[in-house]
Amino acid sequence: MAAASLSFIALCILPPIFLLIFLKLIIRPRPVRIPITSRHVFITGGSRGIGFALARQAAAEGARVTILARNLEQLQEAKTSIRLSTGVDVAIVSADVRDFDAVKHAVESADPIDVLICNQGVFSSGELVNLEIKEVKRMIDVNLIGSFNLVKAALPGMKNRSDRRPVSIAFMSSQAGQVGVYGYTAYAASKFGLRGLAEALQQEVIADDIHVSLIFPPDTDTPSLTEEKERRPPLTSIIAASSSIMRVDEVVKKTLNGIKSGSFSVSCNFKGFLGSIATAGLSPQRSYLMAFVEIISSGVVRIVVLCHLWSFYGSIEKWHAQEK
Amino acid sequence: MADSDLSFLALCALLPIFFLIFLKLIVRPRPVKVPIKSRHVFITGGSSGIGLAIARQAATEGARVTILARSLDKLEEAKTSIRLSTGIDVAIVSADVCDFEAVKAAVESAGPIDVLICNQGVFVAYELENQDMKEIKGMIDVNLIGTFNLVKAALPGMKNRSDRKPVSIAFMSSQAGQVGIYGYTAYSASKFGLRGLAEALQQEVIADNIHVSLIFPPDTDTPGFAEENKKKPQLTSIIAGSSGVMQSDEVAKKALNGIKSGSFFIPCNFEGFLLSLATAGLSPQRSYLMAFVEVISAGILRIAGLCFQWTWYGSIEKWHAQEK
Repeated sequence: MAAASLSFIALCILPPIFLLIFLKLIIRPRPVRIPITSRHVFITGGSRGIGFALARQAAAEGARVTILARNLEQLQEAKTSIRLSTGVDVAIVSADVRDFDAVKHAVESADPIDVLICNQGVFSSGELVNLEIKEVKRMIDVNLIGSFNLVKAALPGMKNRSDRRPVSIAFMSSQAGQVGVYGYTAYAASKFGLRGLAEALQQEVIADDIHVSLIFPPDTDTPSLTEEKERRPPLTSIIAASSSIMRVDEVVKKTLNGIKSGSFSVSCNFKGFLGSIATAGLSPQRSYLMAFVEIISSGVVRIVVLCHLWSFYGSIEKWHAQEK
Repeated sequence: MADSDLSFLALCALLPIFFLIFLKLIVRPRPVKVPIKSRHVFITGGSSGIGLAIARQAATEGARVTILARSLDKLEEAKTSIRLSTGIDVAIVSADVCDFEAVKAAVESAGPIDVLICNQGVFVAYELENQDMKEIKGMIDVNLIGTFNLVKAALPGMKNRSDRKPVSIAFMSSQAGQVGIYGYTAYSASKFGLRGLAEALQQEVIADNIHVSLIFPPDTDTPGFAEENKKKPQLTSIIAGSSGVMQSDEVAKKALNGIKSGSFFIPCNFEGFLLSLATAGLSPQRSYLMAFVEVISAGILRIAGLCFQWTWYGSIEKWHAQEK
């Protein structure tokens, strides 16, 4: 009897332990730490919103910061604001991320970059039938092609850097880059595209000790969000209501911590964490503990996802029934 | 003793059954069949490769087919080829998918569309640092923005159609749209983008009985593939080689069958099927049986995905070690 209980307990404990050991051995790319103190952090879309808050936090943590945006005045204001709150001076550079030559020039005029945060983004919601193609193109140009421009401009410098410590390229995605939701065809397309870029890029740059991160914040309390919400289709609001709004400084903390721990997928709240597990797909996982969590919970998480979809499509049905 | 054994067995058999019933009740959107016989199938990139094969297959199955491409000459050749092999005449229309006005004119001249297959695509594999921004932009313009143009042009007609039978919008993605691989930053970005578009679009159009599908072929034996192979980086061949090469008529059959059964994800071979399960993420699943398979296999597939990462990053390490 006692022997049977003992074997049973052993059977319960041993497989997870073996799995953990197995995972620790096979996860690639290997875990890494990326320090930001005294290193150069280059943030686009850095004069407002999440980018501005990132710049302020990075400066407070001792990084040398450069912020890029289009509007020189807003950049000056941001610089002043950061100096007032942290005592630190950030460098500013004005360029439109859609213009490769301007981006190249901006990147080359700055110091060698250790952490590149492609954070610029525009977003507007609307059913595709109502969106102008001009607006679709703008989102894809700024959010996706702009990021390609930045990476392409910064890569040579990063690959040939003299300081061979690990460096990082981070992309600000969104929960809209994990799931496509009513009203977000173009925005989701641009953010999903960042993931394709990131997964392939990580394979291309790992040999140079460059580490790629994708950050997935939910709706974050910024001026841009306020603008977008005013013009959101009702159904988008109904469906998006299930996700809460985060404060910028919380998003910033999660972002920088994720970059410093070299994580490929950086989630910002619990829902985002579940979203990352659900959408792990074939993305790399650099933490064997997270890999373990992904494996044992992915089945249940898929059930939760199917329930969410049942709820989304139910809302859509109900809304259309009311409209008639 | 026998009682507890029996109850245990009953529990083991009943649990899956209850779960299947639960899934059957909650999968959304509900399953649907989209007939193509005697209906209008509009295929872009239809003058060669997979598009031509789909056009031929659809014509054989009794659909009225229109093929769109840029070159009128190639369209005429394709039309002749289809007439010779099936005896059926397809309509042809010349337009560049990157030009919204031209696409709109083409779609309106073609008449009401029942099945829109956005199949046009360009692909060139290169490390991001070696690839021309013009080529990168080209892939995103043709593959992603071109598709937005097509959907936006066709949607009003589809929404206001007189025949209210189910209709379909299908996007030709790729296994590179399920996982980003060395050399495919731009191509994967464009194909991942299609998924963001598709997930959001399905929510926007379900009320009009429009059904969205994403097709994920592996490398397929086409002129485009032959072109791509000439310049592909070696590491891309090593890593992507793990999935086989399919014939375009096999891909065409899988594509059309998937569209007819209203599936959101349409894989074309066994590796593709496993990839679809692994990357189910937050995508809708219209078949309760497939949902069951997704849930029970999710954990194991994540382990397999992590093993693939170990292989790929191992190949990258080894290749770079040799280069030194």
